Amino acid sequence: MAVVSPATGELAAAGAPARRKAAPLWGQFAILIVIMLICVFPFYWMVTTSLKTQIVALEAPPVWIFEPTLANYREALFEDGVLRTLVNSLIIAVCTTALALVLGVPAAFALARFEFRGKRDLWFWFITNRMVSPIVLALPFFLIARNLGLLDKHITLILIYLTFNLPIVIWIVTDQFRGIPYDLDEAARLEGASQFTIMRRICLPLAMPGVAVSAIFSFIFSWNELMFGLILTRTEAKTAPAMAVSFMEGYNLPYGKIMATSTLIVIPVLIFALIASKQLVRGLTMGAVK
Amino acid sequence: MKNLRNLYCSTAVASLVATGAVAGSHGWSLKDAAAPYAGTTIDVVFLLRPGYEAIEAMLPAFEEETGINVNIIKHPYENALGEQVRDFVAGGDLDIALIDLVWIGNFAENDWILPLAEVQEKFPDIVDPNLDIDDFFPLVLNAFGGWNDTIYGLPFDNYSGLMFYNRCMLEEAGFDGPPATWGELKDVYGPALTGDGKYAFALQSKRNETQSADSFARVLWPFGGSFLNDEFRSNLMSEESQAGLKFRQDLMQYMPDGIVAYDHAETVNAFAQGDVAMITEWSAFYSTVVSPETSTVADCVEIAPEPMGPAGRKPALGGFSLAVASQADEAEQAAAYLFIQWATSKENAREYLERGGVPARQSVYMEDGLEDFKFVPALVESWQDGVPEFRPRFAEWPEITEIVQEWGTKMMLGEVTTEEGAQEIGTRMEEVLEAAGYYSGDKPLAQ
Amino acid sequence: MRGKVARKTIFAFIGPAVIGLAAVGIAPLVYALWTSLHFYNLTKLKRVEFIGLENYWTVLTDEVFWQAMGRTFFLLGTALPLQIAFGLGIALVLHQPGLTLLKTLARLSLVLPMATTYAVVGLLGQVMFNQKFGVVNQLLGGADINWIGDPTNAFAMIIFWDVWQWTPFVALVLLAGLTMVPGEVEEAARLETKSKWTVLRYVQLPFLLPGLVAVLILRTADTLKLFDMVFTLTRGGPGSSTEFISLMIQRVGFRGFDQGLASAQAIILLIITIVLAQIYIRVFYKEVN
Repeated sequence: MAVVSPATGELAAAGAPARRKAAPLWGQFAILIVIMLICVFPFYWMVTTSLKTQIVALEAPPVWIFEPTLANYREALFEDGVLRTLVNSLIIAVCTTALALVLGVPAAFALARFEFRGKRDLWFWFITNRMVSPIVLALPFFLIARNLGLLDKHITLILIYLTFNLPIVIWIVTDQFRGIPYDLDEAARLEGASQFTIMRRICLPLAMPGVAVSAIFSFIFSWNELMFGLILTRTEAKTAPAMAVSFMEGYNLPYGKIMATSTLIVIPVLIFALIASKQLVRGLTMGAVK
Repeated sequence: MKNLRNLYCSTAVASLVATGAVAGSHGWSLKDAAAPYAGTTIDVVFLLRPGYEAIEAMLPAFEEETGINVNIIKHPYENALGEQVRDFVAGGDLDIALIDLVWIGNFAENDWILPLAEVQEKFPDIVDPNLDIDDFFPLVLNAFGGWNDTIYGLPFDNYSGLMFYNRCMLEEAGFDGPPATWGELKDVYGPALTGDGKYAFALQSKRNETQSADSFARVLWPFGGSFLNDEFRSNLMSEESQAGLKFRQDLMQYMPDGIVAYDHAETVNAFAQGDVAMITEWSAFYSTVVSPETSTVADCVEIAPEPMGPAGRKPALGGFSLAVASQADEAEQAAAYLFIQWATSKENAREYLERGGVPARQSVYMEDGLEDFKFVPALVESWQDGVPEFRPRFAEWPEITEIVQEWGTKMMLGEVTTEEGAQEIGTRMEEVLEAAGYYSGDKPLAQ
Repeated sequence: MRGKVARKTIFAFIGPAVIGLAAVGIAPLVYALWTSLHFYNLTKLKRVEFIGLENYWTVLTDEVFWQAMGRTFFLLGTALPLQIAFGLGIALVLHQPGLTLLKTLARLSLVLPMATTYAVVGLLGQVMFNQKFGVVNQLLGGADINWIGDPTNAFAMIIFWDVWQWTPFVALVLLAGLTMVPGEVEEAARLETKSKWTVLRYVQLPFLLPGLVAVLILRTADTLKLFDMVFTLTRGGPGSSTEFISLMIQRVGFRGFDQGLASAQAIILLIITIVLAQIYIRVFYKEVN
């Protein structure tokens, strides 16, 4: 259905919203390029530094062309045990995300669909859990974990990370569920479906973008978490970020190796985020659905 | 000190006699002594520094000989205290305590470590007759391992402040040797060596223990100042202390910008890249500045003792001892003692030195063939004169060092004058000491 | 007929989450509360004693605490508007038609900063902003700016990284909001007025508002908790110029070992955060509804 816009006289393409006078393309082009450069440049610098030897890395002004070396990566992965920390982070992030989803999605459904007293306060309580500074929870967690013999074990972090993953899941998924028209529920109810079936068969598929987004964020935040990882692990369950800061002894700063470790640490989560990025845009409505 | 030596002599003699009586004609051997404890695992915190790597390299020999497993948990320095405190508070696994000299009052008062004599009495068979505790530099043994007239640990990772200077840069500027006094350093060497992006001196001053130990304390003692006077009140407002602090402010013009953000790494780096002509740093950095992989000035490096101030040569003192943790069970205590004894023994000192560590045994430094270790003469000299309470080592130090760090850096940034800063530190320090009971006589005035 | 559901069902759905979170979240919080009412220093456990609200009083009258809070709110007040302004601009550009390939690439690159480990950002900052061998000075035409060692510059650096890391998040949230605006409404509005600003204010804003509130709450809470990046970059220095509230709590609790005081500080911080969140919700969500 072609529409002729009276203001501009342009002919719009069939099926598309009327073309407004778009900002000059070269303007957009320039802005987009700048955005991409700013976002990507630090990573470029990180990777190139990781390929430098210490002497080259410390050259002033910094060099852009040089002979790369993989020594830093080799050392980090095999001599310093970075590989194991990556595996630990992976295990912990995946498990805690799965757990957060299993617990959070039904809860979100209840908050979106059911009426009961104290609903708003409950929702707010979930959200406030994310606001507590981990620094003050670290010592109690440490003491409790010690008493239960759970220090330096993956399960400890998996459970503790719920304090910030569960709120995110609940926040995002509740909004998604709220946006789904109630009539579908109604119809299913009339056919005798249980609430659980309604959630699983009808609402969940429609809420997938939100679920996916919360899973992505949960994974990212779990992977990147530092404080609990430092306090509650030693060698067995040490996480990747904890490893990264252990190079900052203050005695010598092997910049090449630090950057190599950093690259190793961010690459998995970056790849994951890139793959899932389409969902990110669709699912980040955060309650804009009316 | 005399009492300490007497106490020690008698204990040593007693244990010698005891083991002599039991061992008969066999002589003591590590293998035999460790036999009852084979299979025990002991846990210890190590830092990421050369001395620890040296012991790690030597470890297989110990483990094979004794059958004892040593589980090393590595931490950066700034986490090491927290990790150990939390472990001891929660009744954890650590069997050996790694004690920075400023932590010893803390650990001892909380009964987290056992006096050496106590362990030796409990397990007479594990004491090496060749232990020769008098062979340790008395200053080092007392400062790193002793508290309140009791020896808890043996000195393990030992430092002294030394002056590293760039001979080439100095020669270019017309000097044929390093400055002998701090005054000379500032007034003569400072202007001559600063300019064109190069600086005469760098004093690591970052807001952590570095500020207290390396920056603040270093300008107090050589000028006759100190943290506390005899009544344990703040001595920072005294003429001498103020002179030292003002000296540091004045010296800053010959240091790189942003020196307040420089920790050891940045300072040593600046020296190793040839940007700074002189630094006063811990002896342990020797290997970093003479290795071509990390230093562009390796051939120009020379070592001298720290400069003298009006009150003499008072070099920075720092280091770690190893002690047996009281939370360890019986077998672990014995095994831990054996490890500590072995790691700090006379026999192992030479290998430890060659692998990058710095032993505290006087005998090793009298051997031949040590020319490659340029820092030895300066180190030995520094350990004759040092001040054990270079930084007070009582249990309140963790709180007080935070105060010094905060206001010491504020002084350097010019946010407060040296008088104002000293006043603030003094007031807060006294509040802490008051709450701890030093002024009411509840606690002996020990530092 | 919404919501009349058996209580059993409600429990079944929401119970596990509540129990899970309560188990992990409440016990430590109670412990923190308990320690905040005592003199509780890890290196002085022989002298634990109940002191009531004394810790809170110490915190509330401590000039250093309020300085740290001030710094933190100053950071919030400068970084957040920048993030929202840039984020909105980026979202608006991405919302425009045309240049789809480039826009997809741009969206992909926006994901990168958000996903980066905060500790790594700090380490990267140390390398890039180094006065001598840092690339930032080089790109600024061989400038010799001391970033890490100068109080003001260090603060600016923190703002830079915070904006770098979180503007993409804001942009994506706002972009999602923009895509929710029904096409016809937007089109009709543009027919009526040439002013982009009017379109924004009256048509798009209502759809952006929920996202904005979420961003406000999340960014406020996160900035008040900001630790990793600053810790690895400056450790709170030089001096105290980048010592934000979380760094101060860490210093008091983990370096000074005074758990009682640190707990009191953290609880006061939590109260402030909750109050702010409530304000945001009441002020802004009202407009939406």
